[in-house]
Amino acid sequence: MPGMDNLTSHLYFAGIDIGSTMSKAAVVDAESRMLAYVVGPTGAEHRLYANKLMEDILRKAGLTLSDIAYIISTGYGRVNVPFADKQITELTCHAKGVAALFPEVKTAIDIGGQDAKVLKIKNGRLVDFLTNDKCAAGTGRFLEVTAETLGLELDEMGRISLQTDSPVKINSLCTIFAQQEIISRLSEGELLPDILAGVYIAIATRVVKLARQLKVEMPVVFTGGVAKNAGMVKAMEAVLGVPVLVPQEPLITGCLGAAILARDEAFKLVQRGEYEGHRDKKLTEARIDFGEKSR
Amino acid sequence: MVIATTKGLSRAHEIYTDRGLRVRELRKAGKKIVGYVCLYPPVEIISALGLVPFRVFGDMSEPITAADQVSITVVCPFLRSIIDLGLKGKFDFLDGIVGAHTCDIGMTLIISWRDYVKDAPFTHLIDVPHTDHAPAVDYFEGQINSFKRHIEEFAGEKLTDDKLKKACEIHNKQRKLVRELYDLRKSDPPLLTSTENLEVLMAISSLPVDEGNELLEDVIKEIKNRELKPPKKKARLLVWGPVVDNTSLYQLIENADANVVIDDTCVGTRAFWADVKAPYNLHALAQRYLVDIKCPRTYRDSCHQELERNYDKDLDSRFNYIKKAITDWKVNGAILQSVKYCDTHGYEVPNLRHYLDTLGIPSIYIEHDYSERSLAPIKTRVEAFVETLDLR
Repeated sequence: MPGMDNLTSHLYFAGIDIGSTMSKAAVVDAESRMLAYVVGPTGAEHRLYANKLMEDILRKAGLTLSDIAYIISTGYGRVNVPFADKQITELTCHAKGVAALFPEVKTAIDIGGQDAKVLKIKNGRLVDFLTNDKCAAGTGRFLEVTAETLGLELDEMGRISLQTDSPVKINSLCTIFAQQEIISRLSEGELLPDILAGVYIAIATRVVKLARQLKVEMPVVFTGGVAKNAGMVKAMEAVLGVPVLVPQEPLITGCLGAAILARDEAFKLVQRGEYEGHRDKKLTEARIDFGEKSR
Repeated sequence: MVIATTKGLSRAHEIYTDRGLRVRELRKAGKKIVGYVCLYPPVEIISALGLVPFRVFGDMSEPITAADQVSITVVCPFLRSIIDLGLKGKFDFLDGIVGAHTCDIGMTLIISWRDYVKDAPFTHLIDVPHTDHAPAVDYFEGQINSFKRHIEEFAGEKLTDDKLKKACEIHNKQRKLVRELYDLRKSDPPLLTSTENLEVLMAISSLPVDEGNELLEDVIKEIKNRELKPPKKKARLLVWGPVVDNTSLYQLIENADANVVIDDTCVGTRAFWADVKAPYNLHALAQRYLVDIKCPRTYRDSCHQELERNYDKDLDSRFNYIKKAITDWKVNGAILQSVKYCDTHGYEVPNLRHYLDTLGIPSIYIEHDYSERSLAPIKTRVEAFVETLDLR
């Protein structure tokens, strides 16, 4: 890559993804290899948390802030990362991160804490997308509420659902109405595994409907916090009718993509001869910003 | 006579922020103000009779609360907003209101207005057929004629050929000036922002036509002479859809590294692109409103007398005016937006997106519920859309 020589080999690039429920950060090197990642709940104080996340990822990667050449923030709270050099939407970042892990990917389905998205990817780039971000139906929040209703842990819920191949049909997709439906099915004597498998099928059906609008092409990658759930993955494959690939850590495709895009941006600056000293300036600005907010 | 202290763009901004500003003054001076909803009541007739036409819009920053008493919630939130503002007394300066059957809710709005909002001295509903077929134009001419007779009675004067001719000419002049204003966005970067453009159009829809024309002339002169220009951005976008009567949507788009350079919306090009053609009579008005205004509320089926329907030819005859706009304004992406529950626009979307695909123009469809707050989730989608436009 031309211009790379100018970037000393010990420079690194960071991506920070402040999601609605979980925040994630990753650091990559000049070859886009991931050094470390961290994950934690977002909470109410986006700005403070972004700061802590950055400290954590640096500690984990054994780096200091001066080693980081460029930072991109993404996700719902991307505007609340004052030390980021640039903001890019989670849609573009997810596509980049998924393509880094699965270079052949054509369709990516991401279900997060309060939204679901379908990405069409061509040659590692986002070309089209659809999102469901108007209501919590069919998202991580839906599963959390279900777990609460039943007094179960999320993982446990997935495991129990795998015990059956005859899911109950859950008709309502509204988060509130579905809980009522689950309770009434239980009182009718339906078995818990069947009901849980039905819940996963209901969520998958909703997002697959979105995916079909963009035409599902293989390979399909399934990411986001919800993809960590074994019951959900099984349901997704059943409804889609094709196998899905799930990354080892499905939460971090957004921040990984952001980190790789940060590397690309830094290289672009080097090529344009605009890289020199840009970080120091950004950090000064961020400190001023923090000062004002804490008053 | 009150003399306005501001001019040009600042005058437009002033009226945009308080749309009743000028008409309240005029009313005090004895003028009668006639509100109209949507694009189909012929404003030429209102102006010709010495009345002031005032286009009624909703307010995206005002939560809809009062309207729930008189309307169901699963209908057009824009029209619900109008009823809501009416119930809250925000249109008390109107002496009359004219609506049209642009869509079913557009029609019920006028009925609700008459029954619940205010017993205005003048309320009129114009029926508008839903095709551009020749018999439909004749029927619509009859509807315009009955509107004419009703409003003549209200105004206490007759619409002479001469008055109509003068009104058509002055409104056509306004349309010509608006098209001149749009020409200023053909360059890259455009010479004005879509936010400024919208403020001007909203202002002239709240002024007597001659005052609107004066404002337009001032604005055009000001823009041509000003030093500060909008910045060049990655995307040059077209915005399509029903009413955009609030600058927040355009601001959101223009914060995402994009300039909106042209629109196909009913506050923009749809309202001002077509002239009334001479000889100026009621038939010419019917033709202008029903056939020449390109709003999907009128079904333009070019193949309705052919035995075999050619899909591509039909799409082209319905949308080639958009193709022309895309070429002339050098558009490289389209944002199709609509308010929730607008079936009129919703049904048009798959066809239009397909047509844009064939032109190689990427597009995105977004729906909002006509409130400033509902725009937040749209922000990410618009930004991602601009990110996918690979132009650099």
